Amino acid sequence: MGGGISGRGSHARFLRVAAVALALFAAASVARADSARAEDAAAWLARAAAAARQLNYTGTIVYQHGVYVETSRLIHLYDGGEEYDKLVTLEGPQREVIRSHGEVRCFYADAKLVRVEPRTLRNAFPSLSPEQQKALADFYNFRKAESARVAGFETQAWVFEPKDGLRYGHKFWTDVATGLILKALVVGENNAVREQFVFSDVAIGAKLDMAMVTPTWPQLPPGWKVRQLGKAESETGETGWTVTRVPPGFVKIVDGYRHFERAHKVAHLVYSDGLTAVSVFIEPGRTSLPPNGFSAQSGFNVYSRQIDDSVVTVLGQVPALTVRQIGNAVARRERDRSPGPPSSSSKEADSK
Amino acid sequence: MGEQISRLMDGDLDDAAAEAALRELKRPESIESWVCYHVIGDALRRTIDPMPGFAARFAARLAAEPTVLAPLSRQSNRLPFAWAVAATVAAATVVGWVAVSTLDPQPTALARAREAATVRSDQGGPQLVSQDYVLAHQEYSPTTQIQGLGQYLRSVSASAPERP
Repeated sequence: MGGGISGRGSHARFLRVAAVALALFAAASVARADSARAEDAAAWLARAAAAARQLNYTGTIVYQHGVYVETSRLIHLYDGGEEYDKLVTLEGPQREVIRSHGEVRCFYADAKLVRVEPRTLRNAFPSLSPEQQKALADFYNFRKAESARVAGFETQAWVFEPKDGLRYGHKFWTDVATGLILKALVVGENNAVREQFVFSDVAIGAKLDMAMVTPTWPQLPPGWKVRQLGKAESETGETGWTVTRVPPGFVKIVDGYRHFERAHKVAHLVYSDGLTAVSVFIEPGRTSLPPNGFSAQSGFNVYSRQIDDSVVTVLGQVPALTVRQIGNAVARRERDRSPGPPSSSSKEADSK
Repeated sequence: MGEQISRLMDGDLDDAAAEAALRELKRPESIESWVCYHVIGDALRRTIDPMPGFAARFAARLAAEPTVLAPLSRQSNRLPFAWAVAATVAAATVVGWVAVSTLDPQPTALARAREAATVRSDQGGPQLVSQDYVLAHQEYSPTTQIQGLGQYLRSVSASAPERP
């Protein structure tokens, strides 16, 4: 686990959980339809992830969110067990994303800035934990939908329909031959499309070479700034922060610290229901933001509030209700509060 | 109490606190706040789209209805309704607080609500979260795993201005 922020935490605990899950499974003489669907959904996600990772493909992606429509070019190369990507915006300011050996670099030519996210996941392709698989089955209806053509390919549509109002609906179209997702959309309240990714054209299994995935600026032009995001650190459960009432179906997968430039150690907790994730950032020593607030950004809902001298920011591809519920339930862990906590007063999360 | 009511409307209260706030709402003053806050919210969200001239016509009709302006002596259930109506006028004119205040038995409640609304509207503009956060989050989202790097479009989206 080393420097990984990854929440897989202790292996022993995972094994315990797995053992319990197995025992329960064995005990159940009748396989419930729900669990069958859970496996279906989890297996489907694993296949889609494998396709996204292991195929070579290049195409044009149209990304629509809110009133915005943006087009970009994606090149994905899989070579020697590693992924190499280049994503270039085709309109608006010239920007691109390069991924190589797990490191992600975002180039913003308009701001003369490169943002570097070091490799943080030990295992770039984690499978779902048993809890996440259960959450998938308990909180989504997963089903096969219609056949359709996307970018000239025969595709199969799949639907994850939420069973409650705490998550959005998702629909995916996969290439029948390879399983690659060619279209994805997120459906919000009133069946309105919140966000959509679709390949308008794509070549799957294309012959690609490394030159095609190198950055437009291999050497940074003078005057550019590099903004290096610190490596994730810390083991599971050490931040001293917790979400006291996690909305049903969300399981904590990450609990660690991130170092951002200019900021102190920022606690980063991630909760996932197997299909979507919500991040909680707790940044100390910042009081500039209004104490409570909603915003929406690129398909995410964001909610922030102040706790003592820290700003809590919750971000996820989930309804506003969910980010707020999580945000209002953020508190210091009980046991970390008593001994002689930092300078901050013990005045707790006002939502109690 | 006003704050509790506001938070109740926002869904910010836990079960126990919500129970308490709901009990409190049985008092006429509290229901007034409740109505006020809803009107403010509706006005800010522009969910009210009244007919042109409605406010003026309604104000005229209201002026001809002395019972509505009767003192609180009867403590009737009509008070909240009267308030809702008066509040609708407020919303219809959006900033027409002056007109309403002539009917306002409790100007302070309105003023407080109005102040709260002003603060909210000031904060209602785009409030962009750091792209650092977006980038750090991206990697852990299962959808990133199945949809590939295309998801990082969010990090370079033209709709998210980047400052050096």
